[in-house]
Amino acid sequence: MLGFVMAKRIFLAFGVLLLVGIVGIAALAYRPAIATVPVPAFAPALVAEGEILAAGGYCATCHTVRGGAPFAGGRAMKTGFGTLYSTNITPDPETGIGGWSQAAFARALREGISRDGSQLFPALPFDHFTKLSDDDVAALYAYMMSRPAVKAPAKPNDLPFPLNIRALQAGWKLLFFKAGRFTADPAHNAQWNRGAYLTDALGHCGACHTPRNALGAEQPGKPYAGASIDGWIAPALTAANQAPIAWTTPELTAYLTTGVSLYHGTAAGPMSAVVHDGLAKLPPADQQAVTLYIESLGQGDSRAGAAAPVLAKALAVQPGKDADGRLFTAACGSCHHAGAAPNPLRPLIALNSAVTLDEPTNLIRLILYGIGAKQGAPGVVMPGLGGLSDADVARLAAVIRRTHSALPPWNDLAKKVAAVRADGPGES
Amino acid sequence: MFNPDKSAVAAPHPLSRRGFLVAAGAGGLAFGFAGLSRAAGDAAPPAATAPGFEPTLWFTVGADGIVTVNIIRAEMGQHVGTALARILAEELEADWAKVRIVHVDTDPKWGVMTTGGSWSVWQTWPLYSRAGAAGRIALIEGGARLLGTAPAACTARGGKVIAGGRSISYGDIVARGGLTRSFTPAELDKLPIKPVTERRLVGKPVAAMDIPDKTNGSAIYGIDAKVPGMVHARPVLPPTRYGAKVVSIDDAAAKAVKGYLQSFALDDPSGSVPGWVMVIATSTAAAIRAADLVKVAWSGGDGATVSEKTIQDRGRALIADPKAGGIVDTGGGDVEAALKTAKTRITATYTTASVLHFQLEPVNALAFEKDGVFEIHTGAQWQSLTLPVLAKALGRPETSIIMRTYRIGGGFGRRLNGDYAVPAALAAKALGKPVKMILTRADDVRFDSFRSPSVQTLRIGLDAQGRAVAMDHAASAGWPTQILAPGFLPKGTNGTPYDPFAINGADHWYAVGTQQVRAISNDVANSSFRPGWLRSVGPGWTNWAVESFIDEAAHAVQADPVAFRLAHLTGAGRNAGGGLTAVGGALRQAAVVRRAAELAGWGQKLPAGSGLGIATSFGQERDMPTWTACVAQVRVAPKTGEVTVEKLTLVVDAGTIVDPDSARAQVEGAALWGLSLALHEGTTFTNGQVADTNLDSYTPLRITDVPELVIEFTASDQPPVGLGEPATTVVAPAIANAIFAATGKRQRHLPIRPEAVLATV
Amino acid sequence: MTCFRINGREVSVDADDDTPLLWVIRDDIGLTGTKFGCGIGMCGACTVHVGGRATRSCSTRLADVEGAEVTTIEGLDPAGQHPVQKAWVGLQVPQCGYCQSGQIMQAVALINDFPAPSDADIDNVMAGNLCRCMTYVRIRAAIKAAAADMKGGATHV
Repeated sequence: MLGFVMAKRIFLAFGVLLLVGIVGIAALAYRPAIATVPVPAFAPALVAEGEILAAGGYCATCHTVRGGAPFAGGRAMKTGFGTLYSTNITPDPETGIGGWSQAAFARALREGISRDGSQLFPALPFDHFTKLSDDDVAALYAYMMSRPAVKAPAKPNDLPFPLNIRALQAGWKLLFFKAGRFTADPAHNAQWNRGAYLTDALGHCGACHTPRNALGAEQPGKPYAGASIDGWIAPALTAANQAPIAWTTPELTAYLTTGVSLYHGTAAGPMSAVVHDGLAKLPPADQQAVTLYIESLGQGDSRAGAAAPVLAKALAVQPGKDADGRLFTAACGSCHHAGAAPNPLRPLIALNSAVTLDEPTNLIRLILYGIGAKQGAPGVVMPGLGGLSDADVARLAAVIRRTHSALPPWNDLAKKVAAVRADGPGES
Repeated sequence: MFNPDKSAVAAPHPLSRRGFLVAAGAGGLAFGFAGLSRAAGDAAPPAATAPGFEPTLWFTVGADGIVTVNIIRAEMGQHVGTALARILAEELEADWAKVRIVHVDTDPKWGVMTTGGSWSVWQTWPLYSRAGAAGRIALIEGGARLLGTAPAACTARGGKVIAGGRSISYGDIVARGGLTRSFTPAELDKLPIKPVTERRLVGKPVAAMDIPDKTNGSAIYGIDAKVPGMVHARPVLPPTRYGAKVVSIDDAAAKAVKGYLQSFALDDPSGSVPGWVMVIATSTAAAIRAADLVKVAWSGGDGATVSEKTIQDRGRALIADPKAGGIVDTGGGDVEAALKTAKTRITATYTTASVLHFQLEPVNALAFEKDGVFEIHTGAQWQSLTLPVLAKALGRPETSIIMRTYRIGGGFGRRLNGDYAVPAALAAKALGKPVKMILTRADDVRFDSFRSPSVQTLRIGLDAQGRAVAMDHAASAGWPTQILAPGFLPKGTNGTPYDPFAINGADHWYAVGTQQVRAISNDVANSSFRPGWLRSVGPGWTNWAVESFIDEAAHAVQADPVAFRLAHLTGAGRNAGGGLTAVGGALRQAAVVRRAAELAGWGQKLPAGSGLGIATSFGQERDMPTWTACVAQVRVAPKTGEVTVEKLTLVVDAGTIVDPDSARAQVEGAALWGLSLALHEGTTFTNGQVADTNLDSYTPLRITDVPELVIEFTASDQPPVGLGEPATTVVAPAIANAIFAATGKRQRHLPIRPEAVLATV
Repeated sequence: MTCFRINGREVSVDADDDTPLLWVIRDDIGLTGTKFGCGIGMCGACTVHVGGRATRSCSTRLADVEGAEVTTIEGLDPAGQHPVQKAWVGLQVPQCGYCQSGQIMQAVALINDFPAPSDADIDNVMAGNLCRCMTYVRIRAAIKAAAADMKGGATHV
């Protein structure tokens, strides 16, 4: 799903490229179709491996609608220019990928070209999947092709002309897309490199956490520096991360494998699926590798010692007894009061980056829409306070920022609340 | 709140003109009064043979010994059924384990059904005491016959008639049958109520019967009522309470809501809900959602330009006009002349903001017609007031309408006004099927009969010794009784009718020389919204002015506020008390003042920024005085103006305490209501609507703000009086007086907001 | 169709994803002990447990409890004899009772997290539950009594 969300910027790129010259791009876009083949039988071990990899890339998240058949597609991806729908990737010959050869499958993943030669929209993060190994592509192929075939015609995308011209993708690829497999960094050990592969290639984490340029491509010089995406802010995974307490190995491990951490809250929004549909299903060794790699990006362990006073302060926060403080106590205190010691199911608001980020987006989303039982801490719900007016939500966000951090107040809160509300809760 | 039966209660007791009958009923032995279906003021029917006798009135004793007591009062948190059954069981000498209560539906046989004014126990005490006593005598006579002995040789105890070593249970007496008995009014009159030493139930701890169901989800409130085939409704409310007419309804957007059925404007002959549109759906959730999407255009609308300030300015102007309002009889005299004789004269004006009921269960009703009878299922406090309104709305006689009784999720006076039953009934009539209407919180608040904003100007004159020689109190507000029950306005001494429930409390028990009390109806308020009775009613705001002003007077003559009060609670003249329940008069009020001061450590030295303040009250009405005093200990934060109430000490003399734990619970709740009204609650009428419609901005007291509470009841064998409200009336003035002690600055507006305190310190 | 468990039994509800859980519980499932007070998550009368944690059902979308375990006041204890319920009866806490299902569900969750709750714990956790009758003094006392009872009980296990 994460790949889809940058669609808006990418479409902007199309517009620019239109000016460059349609003819050249059209020529560039041409790719041959790859003939269909009978779907072969696969070794169970290979399918099992593919299942884990499909989880690690959380393919099902984007390719399934709530309550629908797995991988049958149809999930709406709202963008500023229109709505895209994910496609059916079950092996149904008419409406899915039945009859696709492994080569066709690999080309789609790694180059963004459909079996029939047409350009795929870059909502599919082929810029990351291009790094996948041949073995992993084979395993993914085996897994996907052995899923039950579901007849589910693709919903037509709701995109205006000319953004609906698939051939235009080629120009963007020319500028920003570099095909090529993952190469290990010899400066690091095998576990780190495994983590890097899982994070950069399969997990396509940069799709959200790396900022993009004006044309919607990830900026090569700023890996994991944090970005605004899909109505959320994906915080930096580097040392620039704004969480008051550093992301140490234990915190990352808890968060990335269970969705629940002691100091950093729970995995909400788009990150929820990353954890629950993806990382949680990886074998422990792979989880450790991912944790090791991500810790290395931010070097949180080196700052573990600074946590104690920050925690003490967070536990002692007083929201005040003025009108706004009372609003906070009544609306939030029941669940977020932690008493003398932190409790991961009573997340300390003062430690959450939703409060310390430069923009209030994440906090507003959490207040308005809460967190469902399938997201965040499994089986637990944070209700949304969307019944409050925009002005009240703005008051709440303001008093949280004022009493739970020492940072300057956010501007234009009521307007931002209205914008997030207009944007809707997104797909659950 | 206002009960026409009250006049009867104020007489020696209401049984004086009625007989009492014991008769075999369907399920056992029935005990009731003859002719109660007549109004209290009707001529007495002949005893014993009265055609109006209804054999299941008041209580029955079954062959299994179960005593079933019928309760006409609404259960809204007072555990009223337990207290009333206790009174009856005491005199009946019933086995408490076999006593059951039934909260009855409306029926003319019950007489007036109303619950409010802290009246229930006070009014029922003589009635049920004597009903129980008469039942006991009948059972002793029957038991004696069965035991083969004389009634005089028998006693009744624990549901048995006992003669020496032998006994027979009430159940067995009933099972053997043949028992009939009647009492003439004269005989009833002579039945003594037990002396305190003989009480076995009244005043003893008891578990309230309604509580277990309220801890396991099984208590059924109006909002829980359902019948098969009902549709769900939510209204779209017009922009003003009165005068709006529906011009058009556009439900195009609502049609997208799954379960939405239709929308239509109500035609209401009773005028309860002008301009209402009902949105009908197959579920509550769909009705709520659809109503948000229905667009209605209205014309007209009275009060659309009226705001809080318009109302208060009008109140001030009315007070300035000496001819406005009704003069309450406080003994007469020329107050202006008396004021002129004073050495020291002070004047002060006090105001209160609009206050919402905010009972937690939003108003709702289920209505349908069945077998020629229109049934209204809802929680209600004053069914007898609502039935005629429903009759008018539906165009059918009252006798073909029945109101079924449910638990009330908060009354506080809101459900005295049963206007919310009307739209459900009208919709059910229009659709020909059961309609369940639930208002959302914001709907409920916008439709509230909230407590009117008020203005009061008080003047006092004091002589050289610091004693009051004259006092004038003029109060202006919207009048609930004028709007909802105009027949109940008494005439003032100047011939102008007044609303006692918008002035009670001003007619205090202090000896102040020549006293004038003037109640003035605020016509702008009355025409812009529907003023309501709110917990503690008149004294909830009049006593705020009286007790703040008495404090100002004390300070004006350099007197200690406690000593000043005691010096003026002399118990002389019209303040000597008397009657059935006001025995002792102002001296009993002086006693609670003295005791509260003592308990609270009056005179102790407190840190800077802290202070003690006292206030006292006689409760709701002069003929039902609940003597109450409160000392508040507050701390004022100098930088923010935030007032923290650290402790409230209350002493209450309510005569006999029937159910001690429930009595305490009522005082706890009432006192905290007082605190909430003092510091936390208040809204602003703005262009025909209250500004605050939910808990985001309307902020009643929460658990974080609860101070230490010290509550003491004065031991007394006087008849019981009401407890649900008096403690509310003393807290705000006690707090304001404490703020004065802490800061030297006087607060004269409720609620007392930190900004106001900050502005003065 | 949304599937979840309520008081130990599986239910499937065919209602819009956005339908508040409160109305699903009251109207579709027919359990009316959970009350509607403010509809904006500020009074606590609608409090149930989701995954064992106190949750305002008026502000919880039906879709958000897919697969979850919901407990209402009716399911807290088969006989209505949870230590918190017993304390509520013992100290005669309820007046009108309308908010008390929510108070009890919140108090149970409080004691689960804070077996010996301080006044500050009670204040902060219970501040989201409005009692219009203002039974707060007794709510506080009953929470302490129930906590002591549950602690005592635990030593016998």
